[in-house]
Amino acid sequence: MSHYEAPIREPLILGDKSYHDITEDIAKPIEGKANKNWYMAFYISLAAMLWGFGCIFYTVGTGIGVWGLSKNIGWAWDITNFVWWVGIGHAGTLISAVLLLFRQKWRMAINRSAEAMTIFAVFQAGLFPIIHMGRPWNAFWVLPIPNQFGSLWVNFNSPLLWDVFAISTYLSVSLVFWWTGLLPDFAMIRDRAVKPFQKKIYSLLSFGWSGRAKDWQRFEEVSLVLAGLATPLVLSVHTIVSMDFATSINPGWHSTIFPPYFVAGAIFSGFAMVQTLLGIMRKVTNMEEYITRLHVEYMNIVIILTGGIVAVAYATEFFIAWYTGSPYEYYTYLSVGAATGPYAWAFYSLLLFNIAIPQLLWFKKIRRSFIASFIISIAINIGMWFERFDIIAIVLSKGHLPSTWWRFEPTFVDVGIFIGTIGFFFVLFLLYARTFPVIAQAEVKTILKSSGEFYKKRSEQGIPTKPAIVVLDVEKRSDKSDKNDTE
Amino acid sequence: MASDKKYWKSVEELTNSSFVETLSKNEFVQEIATDTFLGDKETLANSSTSRRDFLKYVGFTTAAATLAACEGPVKKSIPYVVKPNDIIAGVADWYATSMADGYDFANILVKTREGRPIQIMPNKDANGTTSARVQAAVLSLYDEKLRLKNPTKAGEKISWIDADKEIGAALNKLKEANTPVVLLTGTLASPSTERIIQEFIVAYPNVTHVIYDAISESAAADAMLAMYGKRALPKYHLDKASVIVSFGADFLGDFHGGFEKQYVAGRKPETGSMSYHVQFESNMSLTGANADKRIVAKPSDQIFALINLFNAITGSNVPSQATPVDAQVKQMAAALKKAGSKGVVMTGINEKNAQLVALAINNALNSEIIDVNNTLNIRQGNEADVNQLIKDMNAGKVGGLLTYNVNPLYSLPNATEFANGLKKVSLTVALSTENNETVNTSNYVLPTSHFLESWGDTQFDEMTYGLMQPTIQPLFSTRQLQDTLLGWSGNTTKYYEYLKGFASTTILNGSSWNTALHNGFFTREITTATIASENSVTDAAIQLSNITKKASGFELQLYTKTGLGDGKQANNPWLQEFPDPITRASWDNYLTMSIADAKQLGFTNPVKDNGAIDGDYAKVSVNGKEVIVPVMIQPGQAKGSVGLSLGFGRTFGFKEEMQVGVNAYPLYVNANNIQFGVTIEKVSGTHQFACTQVQKTIAGRHDILKVASLKEYKSVDPKDHHHGWNKPSYVSYDHKEVEANTIDLWDEHNRELGHHFNLSIDLTSCTGCGACVVACHAENNVPVVGKREVRVGRDMHWLRIDRYYSSEVETREDAKELGLSRAEMYEGLETEAENPEVTFQPMMCQHCNHAPCETVCPVAATTHGRQGQNQMTYNRCVGTRYCANNCPYRVRRFNWFNYANNNEFDFNMNNEYGKMVLNPDVVVRSRGVMEKCSMCIQMTQATILKAKKEGRAVNTDEFETACSSACTTGALVFGDVNNRQDKVTALAKDKRAYNVLDYLQTKPNVIYQVKIKNTNEA
Repeated sequence: MSHYEAPIREPLILGDKSYHDITEDIAKPIEGKANKNWYMAFYISLAAMLWGFGCIFYTVGTGIGVWGLSKNIGWAWDITNFVWWVGIGHAGTLISAVLLLFRQKWRMAINRSAEAMTIFAVFQAGLFPIIHMGRPWNAFWVLPIPNQFGSLWVNFNSPLLWDVFAISTYLSVSLVFWWTGLLPDFAMIRDRAVKPFQKKIYSLLSFGWSGRAKDWQRFEEVSLVLAGLATPLVLSVHTIVSMDFATSINPGWHSTIFPPYFVAGAIFSGFAMVQTLLGIMRKVTNMEEYITRLHVEYMNIVIILTGGIVAVAYATEFFIAWYTGSPYEYYTYLSVGAATGPYAWAFYSLLLFNIAIPQLLWFKKIRRSFIASFIISIAINIGMWFERFDIIAIVLSKGHLPSTWWRFEPTFVDVGIFIGTIGFFFVLFLLYARTFPVIAQAEVKTILKSSGEFYKKRSEQGIPTKPAIVVLDVEKRSDKSDKNDTE
Repeated sequence: MASDKKYWKSVEELTNSSFVETLSKNEFVQEIATDTFLGDKETLANSSTSRRDFLKYVGFTTAAATLAACEGPVKKSIPYVVKPNDIIAGVADWYATSMADGYDFANILVKTREGRPIQIMPNKDANGTTSARVQAAVLSLYDEKLRLKNPTKAGEKISWIDADKEIGAALNKLKEANTPVVLLTGTLASPSTERIIQEFIVAYPNVTHVIYDAISESAAADAMLAMYGKRALPKYHLDKASVIVSFGADFLGDFHGGFEKQYVAGRKPETGSMSYHVQFESNMSLTGANADKRIVAKPSDQIFALINLFNAITGSNVPSQATPVDAQVKQMAAALKKAGSKGVVMTGINEKNAQLVALAINNALNSEIIDVNNTLNIRQGNEADVNQLIKDMNAGKVGGLLTYNVNPLYSLPNATEFANGLKKVSLTVALSTENNETVNTSNYVLPTSHFLESWGDTQFDEMTYGLMQPTIQPLFSTRQLQDTLLGWSGNTTKYYEYLKGFASTTILNGSSWNTALHNGFFTREITTATIASENSVTDAAIQLSNITKKASGFELQLYTKTGLGDGKQANNPWLQEFPDPITRASWDNYLTMSIADAKQLGFTNPVKDNGAIDGDYAKVSVNGKEVIVPVMIQPGQAKGSVGLSLGFGRTFGFKEEMQVGVNAYPLYVNANNIQFGVTIEKVSGTHQFACTQVQKTIAGRHDILKVASLKEYKSVDPKDHHHGWNKPSYVSYDHKEVEANTIDLWDEHNRELGHHFNLSIDLTSCTGCGACVVACHAENNVPVVGKREVRVGRDMHWLRIDRYYSSEVETREDAKELGLSRAEMYEGLETEAENPEVTFQPMMCQHCNHAPCETVCPVAATTHGRQGQNQMTYNRCVGTRYCANNCPYRVRRFNWFNYANNNEFDFNMNNEYGKMVLNPDVVVRSRGVMEKCSMCIQMTQATILKAKKEGRAVNTDEFETACSSACTTGALVFGDVNNRQDKVTALAKDKRAYNVLDYLQTKPNVIYQVKIKNTNEA
């Protein structure tokens, strides 16, 4: 399955790796014992998660009044967090689906974790529309279920209903796609497992993957089909989320630019989150040789691109707010009104974190620096949270009638739930890092010969890369082969 | 002793039949088939209960026991065993009666459901009006916390018979010793009660009757006495006025009980002429806010201005002082002279000489507006008598004090003197509806019935004789004052019989008692005309001038708030939650201070991050008396003056959450609402206000609230694109500028079938009094949320009245002319002027035909009705709040918590008595659902059903909502636009009609009428 790659391209796998080395590297976090750092991170996340759950129970038990909302500001942190998490979830699909269709091989090292992140982020996102309801126990009413309440049916005009469909579709397609990719890797773990219980679990998870050629053929086909299905979702989900705002009549929300701008923003924030997570993960799970500077640089390039789109959108919004000449548009979240009003700090935070700081990535040195990328990615995460907060809180704080102008201040419950979702997210991610193959090893192995550092060097030295079938032969004969390794 | 008597149960037993013996030995006639079940030992031995079966049994029995132990909530509802003839369950009964609590007087209609009064509306046949306080009085009936429930002696329960016996004995003893006894009441304005008191005095000649009003207008009454020989308040027929000049008279508030109905009647632009109203005042009052021209003048300047006006009109030469408003006074003198008998001058300064001067000016003008014949009896209090009483008590001269519904220990400035005197009085009897400080210190406490439980009569003005009838059985063991006094006088007649006899013989003039009782009033004729005495008031003016010249320091103007008045109903949560029409602060009183003074003294009102407003505290000292109050910076407050409202700060017997504000009565020295020589000092601490509106100006968005002058109204085309005063919004469509309402995204429904409701709101007629707000509270079971929640912007009012101040920079064009930058322009638009014009805008659900809320609800909980309403289905609502966010009018209210049956919200919906006021036609909403104005759909449906049952079409103007029927001035008009005769049909097409935010094309069913001000005259 190997292909030709120009020797001038940087390698995607560092070091002198054999197929078995890859297997070993990826199975190690699962088979080995967790270190102190993992436990520390896990317990902190767990504590945050439990705190968040406590806040959720308190909210559901007492009423939404425990949040900082008011008659004039009906949404604030709840929907901010929702959109933020959905946005974060965007990178996964883009990496696994769109980049697959574009045959971008560098995605192979990161797609598994990016997709895991997507799914975990969508879990968090999905929490908010439910708990932000005044009566969450009736949340199932938003589903078009035939019912005995009479002729009651959902309102297909409502963007919130579109959200329900968009998010649930997105979650299910992402989950299936992710799992499909996981099948050969689970099978690999299963085959290596020595404990019977572990073996049983992984054989359940691997859906009886046998590694036959037919399996591989179907695997490839399903991957391609799912990639085709998932690609429109990259555009649709955040388009629909943006319509929660764009179809409303609030100045600052009612804006036709929202769908593309939200999609770009989502990818922007999604890649930033991948950057953040992988920055940690490559260190913790010793994946430095698979997640390389090149990967980081590629992701940074996507960030500059989408960040640029976002910046242009901001400028457009600012211009339009002025250009309409409408007194109602003066206080939109990107306007002189916002820059001089009580939320100026949020306005400038947005500009700083989302526009100013990402510009540093134009410098190759910064773009290729792990530390700098990590810090910038955190800044973007903060900035993108502010973007949603600004859109929601600033716009709602300056309604049509000046008598309804108000302000929002979060309560400890608002903060607690947000922190709780971060904790929940990391709990899931840390468990994932210990039990799932964090890198799609089956896929990575396909590029070892073409993009591995060792093989690249060999071809530079003029040693010809042998055809794939022969490579397999060579590997079977190699001393490094292991009986447990079926690949 | 042994007995051989034999007891027998049947003849057979007696005759000793053997059959009975057999039976008695055999308890069970038939053998129980135990053998069938247990006889077969073998099967029994072989049968086994498996562990699985055992668990099943245990599980089943446990589950059954658990279920049996769960007790469902028991709701006690007791059906009528014998249905009363006049009550049909589900159908409201209305009674015409009167309210008279000593401060608020009104001819009212009371709605009762299943024997419970649930709403008060004006008796329009009697020209009755209801203020917010009158509307809310129905809730005070159910004040479980404060109402007295049975007679007590020194805190111990006592029976009525014993109490009467003991008090009677004590009174007789005092009578024999000829020791004075004083009956202290508020203004009763009740002819029959006055007669009963006279008879009581005949029986006990040592008794004197002293009338004490907490808020005094005795200066005006004394001035009338001096000038017209009649101690009463004049009436003002402002509907006939062409020029009204007021010096601090809050006649749309509590001045002489208010004249808003007459005032607005004289301000109808469609008649082509409006009265011209100029208000000289220091505090921003409701009246000043509605004036065509409001001239800021601190109290001393008002007095000098009044004297200057007097000089200018009468040609006298009373020594006075120049004031900053002399130019305006000169103008007004000219205007008044021109208006002649159509002009009127009023003053709210509670100083006899000032009132005399005003009367003299009116006399000089020969004013037809002031009515000294049909005078008002609603303020009869006499400070001189009260002060004499305190002196006598302290001298030990008073042997007995009977108080009736007054609370001098709270409302007297010299309450401690009164308390000291009270200790020297041997017999103190409190006849009171509610518990208070004075009741607490009395030996005997005799609970009196609430006016909704009482018989009675009233005489608010000379012509209108009102009757009061009970609308509910007394809730507690209470007795009316009249019955008590009749009993003590030795008269065995019940007060009802007495009243009937009294009214029939002396008032009704042969008319039917039943008709009068049904109508609630009877119109009397006045035959005698009152003539002014020839005495000159020049001396009075000179005296006034000399006293005022001594004024120094800050000048304090004490006033009453629209919500609380004199504080009688301070424990009424509806009124506490009711936002002040001017400051829009609820649950508080505060020192109002001008912007300039606040800057100088360092007072601020910062807006906190949660949207709420904070304030600093000030120590206010007057004549050695001090109170510490929070400061609210008030645009339009005269520099050098401060304002403070009375009626707050009551604590005795109040729950903690109801103990709000500061008692300002200690500063109400000599019952004078103006106090000179006030010092103000900033003290530490931060006060948390609860305001329902933070932004003060309209920020240049003049299409929300349109104002035009009378001249423009008469001469300019309203739709004129450039100069019109009621321009529609224009939008670009196909690159052409077109009127916004000509294009539509949606298919229009056919709205000509059935009823289609519209509500018209005339901004010219709306004075902002807020009666509609409380009416809506009562009709729709709107919850009270308390200060903490109002502060963070969670008041639940379905109907609110937005108040906007004008700014120095009013429009973007102004800003361009001034050459302001964009940021400066917006700052200018957002900052209120130092002396702003004020506009009010009632705002409730606009019932948009293209409602933005309807499209965004995921579960279709808010939908459009066939009759034009935007309907809210509470039990379908999941509470996403998207509808509220997408409502450009922000009128939707979310139930953040459970407001009923929740100890965190311990107001009327958390106790069994308070819940009796709930309207059974409207559901009490649970937490997590959205609610809003329903256009009183329960009322419109009831009207439709009534017409249907009677087999007729709905009559013209028969449809009403709570707000429209409560509106005193007729600003709110509700009706069916598919009925061509309905008033609202014409109003919907009026040239003043417009929709708020029409550029959004929401097509509301609520129509506003442009506010017309008479600013061009004078």
